Amino acid sequence: MTDQHNDNTTHFGFEDVKKEEKVQRVADVFHSVAGKYDLMNDLMSGGVHRLWKRITIEQSGVRTGNTVLDIAGGTGDLTMRFSRLVGPTGKVVLADINDSMLKVGRDKLMDKGVTGNVEFVQANAEALPFPDNTFDVITIAFGLRNVTDKDAALRSMTRVLKPGGKVMVLEFSKTDNPLLTKAYDFYSFNILPQMGSMIAGDADSYRYLAESIRMHPDQETLKSMMQDAGLTHCKYQNMTGGIVALHTGIKP
Amino acid sequence: MDKKLLDILVCPVAKTPLEYNEETNELISKASGLAYPVRDDIPVLLETEARELTLEERESK
Repeated sequence: MTDQHNDNTTHFGFEDVKKEEKVQRVADVFHSVAGKYDLMNDLMSGGVHRLWKRITIEQSGVRTGNTVLDIAGGTGDLTMRFSRLVGPTGKVVLADINDSMLKVGRDKLMDKGVTGNVEFVQANAEALPFPDNTFDVITIAFGLRNVTDKDAALRSMTRVLKPGGKVMVLEFSKTDNPLLTKAYDFYSFNILPQMGSMIAGDADSYRYLAESIRMHPDQETLKSMMQDAGLTHCKYQNMTGGIVALHTGIKP
Repeated sequence: MDKKLLDILVCPVAKTPLEYNEETNELISKASGLAYPVRDDIPVLLETEARELTLEERESK
């Protein structure tokens, strides 16, 4: 499955839209959900998103003095943990295309006393504003799905990664068990938009999230996209029956 | 804006270093002819949000 139909259109959930329109509509979704994002993540995943993120941190190999880029870092869950790991001699850059998400993230990190080694940049994953060979580790957690040109984003990440550095993509993926798939579909298309409506007053945004998950490349497709972008040692591990997968690749 | 940040930022179009203009609170790329805004102390390094430099600005040192 590829994301592009022709040069000008792409997916917005199950709809076909013009590429420029996707950028705006994804932006609207995140402006709308930014304030309730953390609460909704806990409710929607039953708190399991914390486990998915913890596994990502454990496998990152980030250590003192490292320079880390957290793309689509949103409300800063990964950045907060990386900030402690890299210490005062390291640096974490939290980048997001959406200013509402960045501001919620910055406020949260300040409240938690995470300062000094964290920088905030509004940037597009497809055209990252960093020099070649800058970062030891780059993460994009629940963000690649929303990027219009995923191949361009993977190439851009590879460019700014140091040789030997690691890209980690944490993203919803394809379930491998038919029963789980059935339950998960019912949950995603019936319960989740209702929760979105009740708690965040916005069913459409959460319907988009469910649809965009189904349109995202499956495990093997994403792995070959990462190889095409120039990464080696590409592999993935499924979590929670493939609801989520963690892909990693190394820059040669 | 944090000046240390400038060391690891480049223009997302030209991929070359940026200069900070304190008067306009913008990050300037002569190479691409674009000025990027800084909003709420956060550099906005999006081509779609950048301003095109005037001819005078391009030629000034």
